[in-house]
Amino acid sequence: MRFVQYLITAFVLVSLNFFLPRMMPGDPLSCLIGDPGADAPILLTEEMRENLAEYYGLNKPLVEQYRDYLFGLTRGDLGWSIYYNGPVSSVLLGRLKWTLFLGGTAAIIYTLLGTLLGAVSAWKRGTKVDVGLLIFVFSLGSWPPFFLGMLLIIICSFKLGAFPIGGAQSPAAVQAGGLEQVKDVVHHWFLPCLALVLTHLPGIYLLTRNSMLSVLGEDYVRTARSKGLQELRVLLQHALPNALLPIVTTIAMRLGFAIMGTMFVEVVFAYPGMGTLIYQASAARDYPLLQGGFLLITAFVVFFNLVADLLYARLDPRARATWVS
Amino acid sequence: MAVNTRERIGRFVLVLLVVGLVTGCASASISTGTPNAAGPGSRSAPDSSSGGALSHASEPAVLTLPGEDWGYPSPFAFYSRGPGYIRMSLLFDTLTWKDEEGVIPWLADSWDVSKDGIAWTFTLHPGVTWHDGVPLTVEDVAFTFDYFEEHQASFKWSWPVDQVAGTEIVDDHTITIHLTEPVAGCHESLVGSLPIIPRHIWESVDDPIKFLDAGAVVGTGPFKLVEYSKEEGRYVYEANPDYFVGRPVVDQLVFIQVENQALALKTGTTDYASFSGKEMEAARVFDGDPDYQHIDGPSFWVLQLVFNATRPPFDNVDLRKAVAHAVDRERIVDQVTHSGAIVANLGIISPFADWYNPNLPAYEVDRTKSRALIDEVGMGDDSVTLITTAEYAREAELIQADLEQVGIQVELKTGDRSTVDGLLREGNFDLAISGHGGIANPATLRVPTWPASTYDNETYDRLYQEQASTVDGERRRDIVLQLQHIVAEELPVLTLWHPKMRTVFCPSKLDTWFYTTGGVGFGIPLSMNKLIFLRR
Repeated sequence: MRFVQYLITAFVLVSLNFFLPRMMPGDPLSCLIGDPGADAPILLTEEMRENLAEYYGLNKPLVEQYRDYLFGLTRGDLGWSIYYNGPVSSVLLGRLKWTLFLGGTAAIIYTLLGTLLGAVSAWKRGTKVDVGLLIFVFSLGSWPPFFLGMLLIIICSFKLGAFPIGGAQSPAAVQAGGLEQVKDVVHHWFLPCLALVLTHLPGIYLLTRNSMLSVLGEDYVRTARSKGLQELRVLLQHALPNALLPIVTTIAMRLGFAIMGTMFVEVVFAYPGMGTLIYQASAARDYPLLQGGFLLITAFVVFFNLVADLLYARLDPRARATWVS
Repeated sequence: MAVNTRERIGRFVLVLLVVGLVTGCASASISTGTPNAAGPGSRSAPDSSSGGALSHASEPAVLTLPGEDWGYPSPFAFYSRGPGYIRMSLLFDTLTWKDEEGVIPWLADSWDVSKDGIAWTFTLHPGVTWHDGVPLTVEDVAFTFDYFEEHQASFKWSWPVDQVAGTEIVDDHTITIHLTEPVAGCHESLVGSLPIIPRHIWESVDDPIKFLDAGAVVGTGPFKLVEYSKEEGRYVYEANPDYFVGRPVVDQLVFIQVENQALALKTGTTDYASFSGKEMEAARVFDGDPDYQHIDGPSFWVLQLVFNATRPPFDNVDLRKAVAHAVDRERIVDQVTHSGAIVANLGIISPFADWYNPNLPAYEVDRTKSRALIDEVGMGDDSVTLITTAEYAREAELIQADLEQVGIQVELKTGDRSTVDGLLREGNFDLAISGHGGIANPATLRVPTWPASTYDNETYDRLYQEQASTVDGERRRDIVLQLQHIVAEELPVLTLWHPKMRTVFCPSKLDTWFYTTGGVGFGIPLSMNKLIFLRR
């Protein structure tokens, strides 16, 4: 039953992805050519507009465009990006791989680190370690992400000269290829990843700490302790798995949206990624790209929700019961 | 059970990590290959020794410039903005080009205009070859005009090829372009911006927008495209050793995406930075630093307060004059742009253009006069709307305060650029703040309220049409001056400011930067003319 629900949700979302961009004021052709803010503006004449509208199929009735869009989807054809002038799928994939790389690695790090620190904090509740961590994380969380990113650039890149000021790789390394390119990519990855980790750490940390605190008071933890088990084993084997339930949900939700979540880092570090792409697509009213981009986001959110559901069932027998029925 | 779950999560995380690393580390760029790989005999590899002989340094001279993705630099695929055209112009040449003085011969050595201004005859420079080694012929030129005219529906740049009635090949080096009617400055506007494309490649291309092969960037230009990465906004060009006016002094030209141009230049990441308007403050960090030099240039851009002169209340010219007397433009320049701009010419045209009219009526800030005008006209208690993008919200607030002092209640509305443009096009506003470029060129006067069309004046339109087909330079200039006078007198718009522009660069790398008269191509106000990279 749950799968049918997911299917219906997906269809509704796919349709929304089509209609929402078209409900915004403005249109892709005016953004493409008639941008008056441009240095050397081009007058979009009626004739040019008609020609281009026909070329991009924008003059067809909406129902027909919708049909073409659905039809294209079934064949895996996402259309042609009007602004970026390329197949939507390749424009998206070109950015997605960087987002997965940066956002994915950062997510792994902040999840592991946040869970670990949160567990330690709860375990050492009230001690100097706990208070120290709390103060550290709270002060971290109160900094605007943009500011944090710029601060990292100013200190680590400008003052210390230890890292590049931005970009995903340097042209020389791309030409050299091989190991040099890999090193260069990692070199460029470090600061934006650090910025992401520092931004997302507080949420995971606090959640784990709270969740652990409530679990640590449970009877089975007391039982485990009274069996004479080592503290570390109590913590890792008995308390943490139970505390993970809400954490898994939160992380899955975060991963679903992670695709847009790197946006501030992309801007500050001039790093390629999905966030700025979707933003630009929306500013340019690039309907096909918006549809494709939203579809990708939808797919991610739905996928990770599904993963959360499945994991939940694994973690909690009570949830499994509802899933099966 | 618990161990199982942990293992699963661990495995899942590991998979993510591997996927991330693999996809991230794989080269993210579309390598276009070397276009002339097909003809290896014609290619002389630019190794460091040959580069050293021709450039300043002994190593290959690499110049890194800041930028972003402006599309694949084929004539039909670059994004319709100045920087996109510039990237294309490094690969393709035009019959004429422009330097700091004005129009110069380029692929054409000389040209003649018939007395009626309809037939333009160009003589080609001999011995020019395409990047793939094939010689450029007069047939290529004829083909270019035909191809662009045939594919007008496919391009997104303002090449006025509909002015061309046809081409006529006179001999191996001479071609005549027949126009449908006399066009003033045809050698600058059309001929000076239309890239000549190779017939042997494009004759089989039906859909030029989607033609994104390596062949699409084969031109005659000073550089060849080595690499383009859409997602990273990176372009790598290498010098064309066989360029017809000599090999460029720069062996490799690289564009990379940066967030902060000043920081990129200061850290040596790039060798050049360009600032305009409100960004000018950031350029001050280079003042007095002996490692950097700068040149200032005109921007050919104007920010204006657009009136909706087709509906009350601003259909009344006296009311528009009242606004002009109320708005303190100098204060806006001081307080909002921090002197990164100059008070604009009331006639729209840039004060740095030949077409500028310096003798226009002025409206001194005089609230008493303004109020008297308003009282005379009588303007109800209704408030008027002023729409703007967030970018110009400060200007809007100052204007709102100024107008409130003379009794006009203004309601501010902000939207994103597409929304504001949409409202302007629909004519659904009273007042709007909107800016545009291209003001070195009289063509910009066609619709003074552009992108809105909220001003009707038949005399004005007739004069505009007249100058557009006047080949006699003096006569044409006279009419353009008149047009500016009408704009300043009738105020379809109240111009606010023109941004200043500054190019900062490392002279040790390259010190030939200049601003092109009237802008590169057809009015692009960037200091990035391909002549900079050539020995002149």
